[in-house]
Amino acid sequence: MTNNSRGIKRYHRLQYVVLLAAIAILGRLFYVQIIDDRYEAMAVANIIRTDIEFPMRGEVLDRRGEYLIRSRVCYDVMVVTRDIPREGFDSVRLATILNISMEKLRRELRRAGSASRTPHLVAGYLSQEAKLIFDESNFKGFYTRFRTAREYPRQVGGNLLGYVSEVNNEHIRKWEYYSAGDYIGVGGVESAYETLLRGEKGISYHAKDTRGAIVGPYMNGELDVLPVKGTQLTSTIDGRLQEFAEHLMVGKVGAVVAIEPSTGEILVMVSSPTYNPDLMVGRQRNANFLEMTRNQRQPQFTRALKEHYAPGSTFKLVQGLIGLEEGVLTPGDKYPCHNGYTYGVGRNSRTMKCHSHSSPLTLRRAVAESCNAYFCYVFKDIITNPKYRNIKEGVRKWNEYVFSFGFGDRLGCDLYGESKGFVPTPEFYDKGYDGRWNWGTAISCAIGQGEMACTPLQMANLAAIIANRGYYYIPHIIKSIDGRDSIDSRFYERHYTKVSAHNFEPIIDGMWMSVNDDGTSRQAKLEGWDVCGKTGTAEHNRRDASGYRYPDHSTFLSFAPRNNPRIAISVYVEHGGFGSEIAVPIASLIEELYLTDTIKRQDMLQRVLNYKINYGYYDAKQRKYDQQHPKQ
Amino acid sequence: MGPLYNNTSGYSVGQKSGSLFGHIDLVALGLYFALVLIGILSITSASYDPDVENIFSFRHNYMKQIMWAGIAWVMGLVILLLDRRYFHMFAYPSYILGIGLLVAVLLFGVKVNGAKAWFEFGGIRLQPVEFVKIATALMVARVMSDFSFNINRVRDLIKVAAVIFIPLLIIILQNDTGSGLVLCSFLFVFIREGLTKYLYFPMIFSVFLFIVSFIFTPVSIFVTLLVLFTIYSALKMGEVVSHVRFLALALLATLLLSLCTPLSGYASLMIVCGISALVLGAIAIKMRAMVLLWPIIMFVYAMLFVPTCDMLFSKLKSHQQDRILTYVGVKSDPKGIDYNVNQSLIAIGSGGVFGKGFMEGTQTKYDYLPEKHTDFIFCTVGEEWGFVGSSIVVLLYIALILRLMRMGERIKEPFGRVYCYAVAAILLFHVWVNIGMTIGLMPVMGIPLPLMSYGGSSLLASTLLIMIAIRLDASTEDQSIYFG
Repeated sequence: MTNNSRGIKRYHRLQYVVLLAAIAILGRLFYVQIIDDRYEAMAVANIIRTDIEFPMRGEVLDRRGEYLIRSRVCYDVMVVTRDIPREGFDSVRLATILNISMEKLRRELRRAGSASRTPHLVAGYLSQEAKLIFDESNFKGFYTRFRTAREYPRQVGGNLLGYVSEVNNEHIRKWEYYSAGDYIGVGGVESAYETLLRGEKGISYHAKDTRGAIVGPYMNGELDVLPVKGTQLTSTIDGRLQEFAEHLMVGKVGAVVAIEPSTGEILVMVSSPTYNPDLMVGRQRNANFLEMTRNQRQPQFTRALKEHYAPGSTFKLVQGLIGLEEGVLTPGDKYPCHNGYTYGVGRNSRTMKCHSHSSPLTLRRAVAESCNAYFCYVFKDIITNPKYRNIKEGVRKWNEYVFSFGFGDRLGCDLYGESKGFVPTPEFYDKGYDGRWNWGTAISCAIGQGEMACTPLQMANLAAIIANRGYYYIPHIIKSIDGRDSIDSRFYERHYTKVSAHNFEPIIDGMWMSVNDDGTSRQAKLEGWDVCGKTGTAEHNRRDASGYRYPDHSTFLSFAPRNNPRIAISVYVEHGGFGSEIAVPIASLIEELYLTDTIKRQDMLQRVLNYKINYGYYDAKQRKYDQQHPKQ
Repeated sequence: MGPLYNNTSGYSVGQKSGSLFGHIDLVALGLYFALVLIGILSITSASYDPDVENIFSFRHNYMKQIMWAGIAWVMGLVILLLDRRYFHMFAYPSYILGIGLLVAVLLFGVKVNGAKAWFEFGGIRLQPVEFVKIATALMVARVMSDFSFNINRVRDLIKVAAVIFIPLLIIILQNDTGSGLVLCSFLFVFIREGLTKYLYFPMIFSVFLFIVSFIFTPVSIFVTLLVLFTIYSALKMGEVVSHVRFLALALLATLLLSLCTPLSGYASLMIVCGISALVLGAIAIKMRAMVLLWPIIMFVYAMLFVPTCDMLFSKLKSHQQDRILTYVGVKSDPKGIDYNVNQSLIAIGSGGVFGKGFMEGTQTKYDYLPEKHTDFIFCTVGEEWGFVGSSIVVLLYIALILRLMRMGERIKEPFGRVYCYAVAAILLFHVWVNIGMTIGLMPVMGIPLPLMSYGGSSLLASTLLIMIAIRLDASTEDQSIYFG
């Protein structure tokens, strides 16, 4: 083989290499351009501008038809930095129209610059008038986005209604519906009925030409989706009553819950302190929010649903009912009380104290005068009933009754975040006392102290149960959706307790006597109405540094009128002192307004408003917090 | 030298007349002009700015490109009018000048996209690396056409390797590795000039191993190679049963070793392969069976090379790592380095069979695709002219490359042949890497598509490169100057 012919052979081989490269490129082109059709769709996505149109958020009416939450039109001003003309624009004028500082405008433009193609929010809550002026000036690169802001005509129910806020990353991850820049209801009614209130976002597609300018709707708008307005809800809340109750609770920490017994509808739900919901709308929102989170009385905390309180003497009603149903107690039974109830022997003997009253008492008088000793006897008889093999069985039986009243678990209200409360069980005592315990260990439960804990909502529900003589509807806050009674069917079911209706009468007698016959609740007497009630003075363990125990919690449970009751109410005021001191007048005034539409007892109203409570506990907490987290 | 080509052997280009232009290869020239014109049209479409009223304004990129094309044609004409002996003479000075420019740009150049590879005079930027390609091609042709040159002699090989690696090293120092790798395409020339397969085959094998070592795990590579080599050897030697036994035994031993000892599967495989390579190697040497020895040597090489790759790779800069990884599909982040490739695929893929028409492409209009009129100019062709148009462009390039090779064969002395092959190799590398990256066959390397991409340096250099080849080919009749 000559050198030359070898060269020719190599030439031919290299020709094949070149052709092979050509075949590889052409094959790949054939696949990408003809076989694989993914890229067409992706190219279309590239040339379409997708605009989201926010719907009007659903409004909320109160039970009388006036607005609790209203939506008003406002605009967000957005910027796409790459569309801003190079020669600049009149930034001073823009800042003036938007009513923001130059620093803020500069800051937002800097932030927007990092992603120059995506819209960035410059300023929110632009009024319609300001929007018109903005539109006239025609700032290139800036545009407005329609949205709605919340408005509260009565300015009540801050922590009850919740607020609307921009979605965070967690929301976006959790729900497919949301994307960055959307709004979502947080807390209270806004969050519980979010899917109804938000409506459906609209989407419009615009085709861009080869220069990026909008040439018109894409495919003549066939793919566009119109926004659907959020659903209007009607709340069970009575706006006027809610406002009045919040007014009465100003300066007090605690909760008021009122329920219509015949339906389970929540008339009033105050978690005090609360805040003006308007604070959570508008440009000062973040500052207000921050200020609120510093407040150690926690204005955003819905105590009515979440706080665990000892029910105190109001729980004696439940003990009486169980005693009657179990047959260990008859209305005529008398027990002695000499300033207390002594149990145990010798050195271990202890006394549960009681206030001075005549002795011995029958069941009705014991309820009216709130005798501690009486219900200790009753409770002991329930859990040491020889019918049951041992104390565990006794407590278990007692548990069954208590659970049937809605204690120890969530009631299933339509608002999120309900607490369960706590009812001690035999297992709990076994664990806590290593199996060595007797009825004396549990005796505090007789008068709603010790480990017993429940929410204000559960206490109001107890008032409704007694008013109904033995059953309740799950308390709820929305009564109709879009004008129809289409709320969840669980709110229409009666839940019966394990106590028969006839056993309620002696207890109700006692509650009536407590108000109308020289009992502890006599301040709640309302001329012309048969009000029934039961006071409570709950002990707690909050002490200051020197060991001084702050005043007891004041609580009151009531319903009226006695026959065909229209309102059942529970008031709980932390550190309010005796139940009769502050909880009774607050509940009574609310009942008066609800039943008679007027307040005749102006002196009582003034006394409630001027009532000063020692909140040393919260003040100390606040001082400590401020020290540890000084304001920026 | 071997016997001269016979003009009747099928390599004739027709009747040669006395005038210079009668000798010029009109096919190559036509292909060149076609590609430049398609390039200008594509640049017009990709970067037309409607805000500029006057369509002849030099604010348009296409007008700048037309201006550069004009300059290039004038210089090309000058080249065609030069005596071809000058190119032989110019090889040394232009090479030294090229090296000087590279060093100068390293010292005084401007940084663009991370590479310090540009001179700036007024508003005009020049990239010396483009001209170094011409100088190196001439130099390689000069060195390899020496009468006594033998590519398979170590001294000569080192000489020609040095010609390539000196500029390559400086270009790597400029952080412009993509452009530098073009010089590696001279391997194509060496193969034509008879480089022994014992040298180029390991090189190609190394590149192959380098790429697969990023796609697959070492264990799977070794198992595959083990099976492939055993099959190869079995077919060559004709002893199937013993080979199957060996394979089964090796895999069984690996399995046992990894199960019964604390060694990992990878370590066990390496031990078994190492031992069997030693034993078989000894047997092969004793039997003088080269058929058996070669696969063993290659396998041992792979065993050393693949793990080294991982270590080498960790030394690369992160953007280079990213680009290589993106290419082999290891790292796929739609907002990261993959972005260009994705957008480029969308543009080309949405072109379909016939494309969207001139100036109607949407993907190559806004800023979806950066460098849409420079490195990614092929996207405009793909989007606006579809499969038909892009195939035509690819075929034009391939035709030009094949034509250059044919011209090289036709030239009866080595200088012209080597030079033509060098131009063909440079074009092939550019076309393969550039078009390959726009369709996801190659990593993004940031090298232009010659003749079509916007940019004066590239167009000028490519024109000169091709014109010199045409000039050298135009006077194949006259041999006297080299042998006189």
